[in-house]
Amino acid sequence: MAIDPERIHRMLNPKSVVVVGDKGPNFQWLTNQKEFDGPLYSVQLDPNEIKGIEERGFTNFTSLADVPGAPDLLICAVPRQITPRIVQDAIAKGIGGIAMFTAGFAETQEDLGIELQERIVAMANEAGMPIVGPNCMGIYNRRLGIRFGAGMTHAEGGNIGVMSQSGSHAAGITQEAQFAGLDVTRTISMGNAAILNEVDYLEYLERDPDSQFIAIYIEGPRDGRRFFEALRRVTKTKPVVVFKGGTTEHGASAARTHTTSLATPTALWDAMVRQAGAIPVVTRDELIDTLSALVRTVPAKGRRMALLAGSGGQSVAVSDSAGRAGLEMPRLADASYDQLKEFFNTIGGSYFNPFDMGGTIAPTSARGREENLQRILDILSADPNLDAAIYEVNAGGGGPNQDPERLNRMLNAIESWRDGSWGKSLLMVMHPGTNPEAYATGRAALVERGFAVYPSFDRAAAAYARVEWYYRNRAERGA
Amino acid sequence: MTDPIAAARAAGRTLLTEVESKQLLEQAGIPVVSARLAASADEASRIADETGYPVVLKVVSAEISHKSDIGGVELNLADAAAVRAAYARIEAAVAKTGAKLEGVSVQRMAAPGVEVIVGMTTDHQFGPVLMFGLGGVMVEVLKDVAFRVVPLEPRDASLMVREVKGYPVLEGVRGRAGADVAALEAFILKVSDFAATHPEVAEIDLNPVFAYPDGAIGVDARVVLAS
Repeated sequence: MAIDPERIHRMLNPKSVVVVGDKGPNFQWLTNQKEFDGPLYSVQLDPNEIKGIEERGFTNFTSLADVPGAPDLLICAVPRQITPRIVQDAIAKGIGGIAMFTAGFAETQEDLGIELQERIVAMANEAGMPIVGPNCMGIYNRRLGIRFGAGMTHAEGGNIGVMSQSGSHAAGITQEAQFAGLDVTRTISMGNAAILNEVDYLEYLERDPDSQFIAIYIEGPRDGRRFFEALRRVTKTKPVVVFKGGTTEHGASAARTHTTSLATPTALWDAMVRQAGAIPVVTRDELIDTLSALVRTVPAKGRRMALLAGSGGQSVAVSDSAGRAGLEMPRLADASYDQLKEFFNTIGGSYFNPFDMGGTIAPTSARGREENLQRILDILSADPNLDAAIYEVNAGGGGPNQDPERLNRMLNAIESWRDGSWGKSLLMVMHPGTNPEAYATGRAALVERGFAVYPSFDRAAAAYARVEWYYRNRAERGA
Repeated sequence: MTDPIAAARAAGRTLLTEVESKQLLEQAGIPVVSARLAASADEASRIADETGYPVVLKVVSAEISHKSDIGGVELNLADAAAVRAAYARIEAAVAKTGAKLEGVSVQRMAAPGVEVIVGMTTDHQFGPVLMFGLGGVMVEVLKDVAFRVVPLEPRDASLMVREVKGYPVLEGVRGRAGADVAALEAFILKVSDFAATHPEVAEIDLNPVFAYPDGAIGVDARVVLAS
């Protein structure tokens, strides 16, 4: 029988948790839930392990039946042979759902593993018991402090839902998103997706008000057709980024038509994801970059970019980046140029998009005035030829973040511009440069201020282009 | 009307002949150059008289997959005598291979157009998917093709045609006539409808399809049934 979505909701948002079979030396499953607000119990039979569990202040029982109430989430870390017994006990106990860390099932392609998985699937399906995994990292819930990595934030808020077929990508996406200043609400590590699969999770995230943006890592779906149909529906209301891994090509020797021999998994996946209106990416960097642009800028309105850089050489390079990404760098309106020429330092600088404005805004330059930045931004705000801007702040070599006060004033100007009259997408670039310390502080300041920050124009332009495609395509679909 | 699928099944085949493939697609409203089977030179010339010249003869044999490689395709035959002579040449060519000749297909020779390919295959994850690309070297070497999952919405057809790098060829380059892109989109959507309603069909190649300034027509076709 199909698993009741209410039951999935209960498991993913537990009020009480029991960890079965956690072990030393780290007791990672209990330790990771240390900040969980509700009751947390342990079940373990081994006296040696019980000692460590109790020393760490966790309440242990030797039988699941003895645990008070019926916890909403059971985290299962027992050896694989015992898992059918745990599932049976969980069903008898009225547990909400199971996150099964235990591995060694169908993914081994061995008879024992396959048979164990079949037994669990049969029991879970008959009882309507939702199981995440097996062979997964379980779930992360930011608000409740359910975690599978020590670095995962426990806090209110969040607007991104993540589902991943790989445990390491589940952790990597969640924590790299945090590093980019993005708040992942929940992460689901799908593992073997033996009971609940990618369609169940996607449909859950579709309804989840705290997942306004969805990020997916997937290798091979359990039900590709339904996944496509669900994805096509979800993207009408929520941006979805799909990172497809494992692009091994199938042997095409048996094909009897040209069409079949050309229908490689890579070609089909890219086509499917785009047809469904989701954003395809091929690396984790691209995934995080795209999420940053989605979450931290207003919805993209068009391809016409203003590119602002501090040096001439960069200005040429950024034009190339924009061109590669399919973006345009229009001429500004005549009125803008009329105003700019009154104060812009054109010796060693340029206000013909891209902007080379170091000599105009740097106080270290003879004709540079800090307040000129505000004037430039005001002119760009009013210009009707622009949809968005990419702005590079130099990380070293006399750049503003060697003077934290100046960087601060600069960011104040940019921030008020972004939040106020501009109302268009703004992406920030800070290249790592040659001063790691200045880069780290400068980047952190930008992230802290809520900007989408990229280490190169190429990555910023590519991320913006993907997001612009998403919103344009969504509008054209009539969504 | 005969049922080409039933006929192939009855003969234990999953690969339909060109004549059967075209008959099936034609019944679904997909424009193709109809082909009729002739089991003798007499029959071939009689069909050619009815069809109108020039005609094309192609070998029909379950054992021969690449017809032109063995000399099994005769183009631009202007009259009955040419048809008889061509039939004899095909007979001789097939005899050399040791394959069993079932006959030849006879069809009107289509006026040249921009060559494109429209195909369908069944993916184990997504089910039926459609492919579009420019024909000839573009598809063989450059793999310049676009895919969509069936069923396509009209917008999908429009986007997939424009997605291939060779799209400007369809718009017409260097004084050559362009193609009727709307007709190609309609063609693709018909194949999508056909695929969506015929789960027993696993693969289709319509290769080439000739795209004209006004319309498009499938010149060769191959249909493979699910086994």
